[in-house]
Amino acid sequence: MYVCSGFARTACFALLGAVSLCGTEARALDLLGGDFQLHGFLSLGLVNTTDNNFFGHSDDQISKDFSEVGVNASWRLTPELQLAAEVLWRRAGGTDDGARLDYGLLDWTALAREQGRAGLRMGRIKTSYGLYNKTRDVPFTRPSIILPQSIYFDRTRNLTVSADGAEIYAEAYGEAGSLSASFAYGLPETGTDATKVPLVGLNRPGSMESNLAPDLQVIYEGSGGKYRLAFTALRVDLSYKPGSADRLQGGKLRLVPLIFSGQYNAENWSLTGEYAMRRSTIKDFGPFFYNGKQDGQSYYLQGTYRLSPQWEALLRYDAYYADKNDRDGQEFAAATGVPGFTRFARDWTLGVRFDVTPQFMLRAEMHQIDGAGFLASQDNPNPQALRRYWNNFMLQASFRF
Amino acid sequence: METLLTIKFTTSLMRAVLLGMLANVLLFSLACAQTTEPVMVAIAYPATSEESIPRASLRAILGMRLHKWPADTPVKVFVLKDDAPEHATFSKTVLQVFPHQLRMAWDRQVFSGQGQYPEQLGSTQEMLSRVASTPGAIGYVKASEVNQNVRVLRIR
Repeated sequence: MYVCSGFARTACFALLGAVSLCGTEARALDLLGGDFQLHGFLSLGLVNTTDNNFFGHSDDQISKDFSEVGVNASWRLTPELQLAAEVLWRRAGGTDDGARLDYGLLDWTALAREQGRAGLRMGRIKTSYGLYNKTRDVPFTRPSIILPQSIYFDRTRNLTVSADGAEIYAEAYGEAGSLSASFAYGLPETGTDATKVPLVGLNRPGSMESNLAPDLQVIYEGSGGKYRLAFTALRVDLSYKPGSADRLQGGKLRLVPLIFSGQYNAENWSLTGEYAMRRSTIKDFGPFFYNGKQDGQSYYLQGTYRLSPQWEALLRYDAYYADKNDRDGQEFAAATGVPGFTRFARDWTLGVRFDVTPQFMLRAEMHQIDGAGFLASQDNPNPQALRRYWNNFMLQASFRF
Repeated sequence: METLLTIKFTTSLMRAVLLGMLANVLLFSLACAQTTEPVMVAIAYPATSEESIPRASLRAILGMRLHKWPADTPVKVFVLKDDAPEHATFSKTVLQVFPHQLRMAWDRQVFSGQGQYPEQLGSTQEMLSRVASTPGAIGYVKASEVNQNVRVLRIR
């Protein structure tokens, strides 16, 4: 076991304890006739890259700095009310190391009929963002070890993990399919370096603050989930408060991603694609910053094939452009001196999943990447040392209960 | 001449035996095909207010999204293990959802704080006795195994 922090060790022991309590058969701890459920997961990863660092010191080395541990509890008080919370400990190179309340919410189903339901969630709520975001840190629910970075950035993930606020939701169940819509209004996490660094860079003395962010998602599921279509619109308004002797001024950032998602599920294979338009407006940071309006563009197409109930293979092409009017980053390079290839990334991914048991999963994947667009500066402090073409090999073992 | 007759007789006997064996194998495999795809039905607690249910609502209940019967009583969902043939058949033929899709839908809800897993049972006997004794219960069995202690829900 390669996790080293005290919390991780405690969490691992707690998990193992809970699991041995449940025995080998049971998947979970169910109390109160199943109204109280305790679940969790633990995963360890190895990362090796031919150049550049991803999730720790991976350049020509093996980084063990990618692990995820989560424990959640849910309690259905009445058919209308449910309380749920999850504690997540995550380590991902220089970008993340610590425990957080991933979500903690009260779900009130105000209206429930045969044809649908509507309600309100209050507290810390997972952000609706594409098809995978709500369970982005749960290895079993992801199609691959890392999600397509063009849309589900691990570098700037903190803004879209969860938000403190409220969400209203409505669902309609019809013969043709089900339609769900949710609208959330909440404060994303901005207090950590993990949020600040990818936006304004390393070693900035100031702090980042956010306004309440609106988040809308509509999902249509046809034929019992064979087709899934989704649209997401999110707006995050951030302001930078300069620190003492700060070269940056009190700037403002507005990020507006719009995501179109589609998925087709056959019995043995799935095809998934998502397209995101990301407008970012950056202003008032002063002469030492790249101010301006950019239209980012991201998309991926992914196929998974179930070779047998235990084996699944994945092939994906994922493309990211920080500015679709400056795809190769040449204008950016001319203005900043930073290599243009840090403004895009094109990633071919080949992966395989092996479910040893329903509780234990092994994964391996290979990425062939052109561009350094989604690399974190915490792991790669010197942009001049980055390489344009690089490969990433990953292994992951995950356990859940 | 006699030896020729005996040879003829033995070869035709062998052919007959072979044919019989082949027919047996064929019939047996047909029988197998029938037993792997049994007719499944949704069952409920005998005093449930509903006699029938729309397929879309049944999907929402088994998908752990709808927690109440129309008469306001709480729903309690029972399922068999993911790899049980009855679970796969019920999912595919009655819900018309692939079992791995159902598992994914549960996972997505449980790990985002929006829902819970249904209770998993080990056998059809357990399914029948738990559905018969739990108010609000819903589950499934083969149509041939239904008894008078549970109500069969018609899909409308």
